[in-house]
This record gives sequence, structure tokens and C-alpha cells, in this order.
Amino acid sequence: MNNSADNHWYPVAMCSGIDDPRETQLLGRKISLGGTSGNFWVRDSEGRDLPVIEKYGHLWTSPGKPNRDLFDIPEADDVGRRLVDVGSVRVKCSPLRAVENFLDIAHFPFVHTDILGAEPHTEVERYDVKIHEDVDEIWATKVKFFQPQAAKSAGGGIITDYKYRVAAPTCAVLYKTSPPRPGEWDVITLFVQPLTEELCEVWPWMALYDDDAEMADLVSFQQMIFMQDRSILENQIPRKLPLDPGLEAPTQADLTSVAYRRWLKKIGYSYGAQVVAA
Amino acid sequence: MDWVAVALSQDLRNAMAMPARIDGTDLALWRSMSGQVHAWGDRCPHRGMRLSHGFVRGETLSCIYHGWQYGQDGGCTSIPAHPKLTPPKTICATTYQCVEDGGLIWVALNEVTTAPPTLSGKTPVRSVQINTPRHEVAAHFGDAEATIVNAVDMTLVLQSTDDAHCIAHVLSTADPKVASRWIEAQRAEIEGVAA
Repeated sequence: MNNSADNHWYPVAMCSGIDDPRETQLLGRKISLGGTSGNFWVRDSEGRDLPVIEKYGHLWTSPGKPNRDLFDIPEADDVGRRLVDVGSVRVKCSPLRAVENFLDIAHFPFVHTDILGAEPHTEVERYDVKIHEDVDEIWATKVKFFQPQAAKSAGGGIITDYKYRVAAPTCAVLYKTSPPRPGEWDVITLFVQPLTEELCEVWPWMALYDDDAEMADLVSFQQMIFMQDRSILENQIPRKLPLDPGLEAPTQADLTSVAYRRWLKKIGYSYGAQVVAA
Repeated sequence: MDWVAVALSQDLRNAMAMPARIDGTDLALWRSMSGQVHAWGDRCPHRGMRLSHGFVRGETLSCIYHGWQYGQDGGCTSIPAHPKLTPPKTICATTYQCVEDGGLIWVALNEVTTAPPTLSGKTPVRSVQINTPRHEVAAHFGDAEATIVNAVDMTLVLQSTDDAHCIAHVLSTADPKVASRWIEAQRAEIEGVAA
């Protein structure tokens, strides 16, 4: 059961935060990890070495045999971007609910009030969603939303353009207008480590154009946003993400979430999903 | 199942929402601006968010996640992401019968045609959670099947929240401080015995 979940890459630590070997969980199983940059290791509970990748500020592993490399974020190599390890937020919810919330803009005025959204600017205009079969990713484009304070670097309210990308079942990337450089996209990711089907460690990471803000302020801004999301994620019923239509009622604003649920079902990814309606 | 007391009226103020539970069924209790109480299933039909975290505007309850607004009959009246859309009639919160009587808020999960029990002459004091099944608490006062227990100058109205917990809503003719100390002592004794 849930074997397909094994064959993906998952974040298990921030590379800069590994001082001593430690234990964590992945897909309900204990793993241990440690080492130093260039020499990190991850082991399963029987002491077998698991594959490791050091990328985007995080240490990645897989308990199975991933049939592809870790997804590419080319912007990570751009000159002039600041790479921000945000740290982790532990959330009592399905890893899939955490990703779905990250893909949603309609909640901004109510959950991130006066920061990422504000009444009466609640309308979500139609946007495009496509599954890119060649890379097996979901892309939502032409997403627009009015934001009172779009980023730490934003001085006032602006219409922010967004693009969303589901790069792996528990990893999503968003691209949004960079307030200091309106022609460029800031990159914010959500890397989710599924501890169990109903508990996850969320590792946000950013590649921003922002030369002014203190690193600590960038981190605390993003942490605040995720703490607001957590108050939602820990109070959804059921805790697992329902993949079958019928239990929940999407609208046009939820096109990305609808595509995400369909895609999970299509690729047979059921870890953290409620497949049969209760 | 008949009427179950879920809260003291005084503990749910105007324009507020709060959670409640009957035998494992999660409820959102809310009181409109004009004072009308409602008991709904604690789940927004959109994305499953608990409606007890929602906010009240006028005679409506809105979900805190995306602001979907529901009217008195539970029907969705507004979806902020689509201001021009009239929400389909099928989008509806689960509603339960809910009345106020004798200073208590009563909910019936199944259709009932009777009125809630009359509790005359006593003043609501407080609600106390007891980490013991309802029937054990009732048995402590002499009748395991009872949901209303009369003891000296107190009345306890028992609400089973799940298999292991219940809430005692305390009404009394005594000084509220005395009543409060009395129920605390009873609770310690009951939980001690059960443990």
C-alpha cells in the first residue's frame, strides 16, 4: 500500500541546520541523518544508506527508487537572488492538505488579512491550469491578486501576478511579482516532509530579489504567514485530503486544487489522501 | 436521541461562534447579531474547515478560510472569490434543531417534536468538563441512564461529548461560588474513582 509514495524525493533537513546526527520520520518510518556539506548521509531504521541530494538549501532523500532526478528550479542559480532557508513549521495535517493550501489564493483576505489580501478585494479571476505531461508537473498561470503587503519589500498595495507549479506530490513552487523588480519573479517554495499521513514538517525556501531586508526579517515574515496557515490546516475535517469529488465543493477559484487532486489520483499517490469518501 | 444541552446561554454571546460536541459529532454553535442561536455541523462544505472558527456578521456565519457565508437555513449566500456568483442551492452547511430554554442551549441531532426538559427555578452557574463517560457520572448520582441529575440544591444536565468524556452543566439555587466548589469536588471524586 502507498508504495508509489516511496519513489519520490523528500526534504528531511535544512543543510545549514545539521549539527549532530539526528532522527526524524519519513512516510511513517524512522530515519536518521547527519554529516557535513558534501558528506551528508541518511539511513533507514535498519541502518541501510538511503540516497541523498543536497539542493535548494535542503537535504533530500528517498526510501524507494525515484525514477527521476529532483525537479529543477533554474532560478536558484540566478545572480543577485538571495536564497533564504526559512526553517520548518510542524503541522498536524496531511502533507497534501499543506500543499493544496499553498496553491490557494482565495484564502488570502481571510487568513492573511491586510498582508496578502484584504476585503473587499476578494475576487479570483479566471486563470489557466495545465498538466505538463513531459515533466509531469501542474502549472497555474495568469493568476492575479490584489495584495496590501505582498512581501517584506512591498511598500503598499499592488496587484501581484502569480504562477504556481506542483513539481512533486509534496513540493510546490510559486513565482510572484518581485516588488523591487516588477519585471522579475520572486520564487517561494513549499517543500513538505511527510512524517506520517496526518503530520508533516513544512520547509519553505525562497530565492528573492531583495537587497535591503535583514535575513531575520525575511524569515520571520514568511514564518508568520505559515503560522497563519497552520491555524487553518490543523482544523480541516477530515485531516486527509479527499481525492474523490463529492465530499468537498470546489469553485472556479479552485482550479489548481482540482487539478492537483486529479493528478494525485492519476499517478496513484495516496499517502495522506482519503480515497474513499467517508 | 433527544435534546442535549451543549452550553449555557450566557457562554455564547451575540455575534460569536464556538465548538461543541455530542457523542463524537462536532458542532459549530453560533449566535447571530440579533441573538438567534444555531447549531451546525462543524465543517464548511467547501474545504472542510471548522465553522466554529468562523465569524458572524449580522444574521450570517462565515467560514474563516475563504469567507464563504451561510444564512440562517445553512444555505451558502456568498462566495467572496466570485462576488457576482449566486451560490448553488446544493452548497449547504448541516443544520440541527437548536433552542434556548432555562438558560441552556439545547441541540437535537435527530428530528424531535417535543420541547426540551423544563428546569424550573435554578440559575445556570457553569459548565464543567469531566474526563469520565456520561453514564458513569450519572451512576455516581444514582442512575446511570439519567441525563438530568438533581442533587440537593443543584441540577446537573449531562452532555456526552464522546465515549470517554462528558460535560456537566450546573444549575443551582445556591451561591454560585458554593455551587462551583461543589461541582469541582464532585468532579475530582468521580475522575478519581474512574481512574
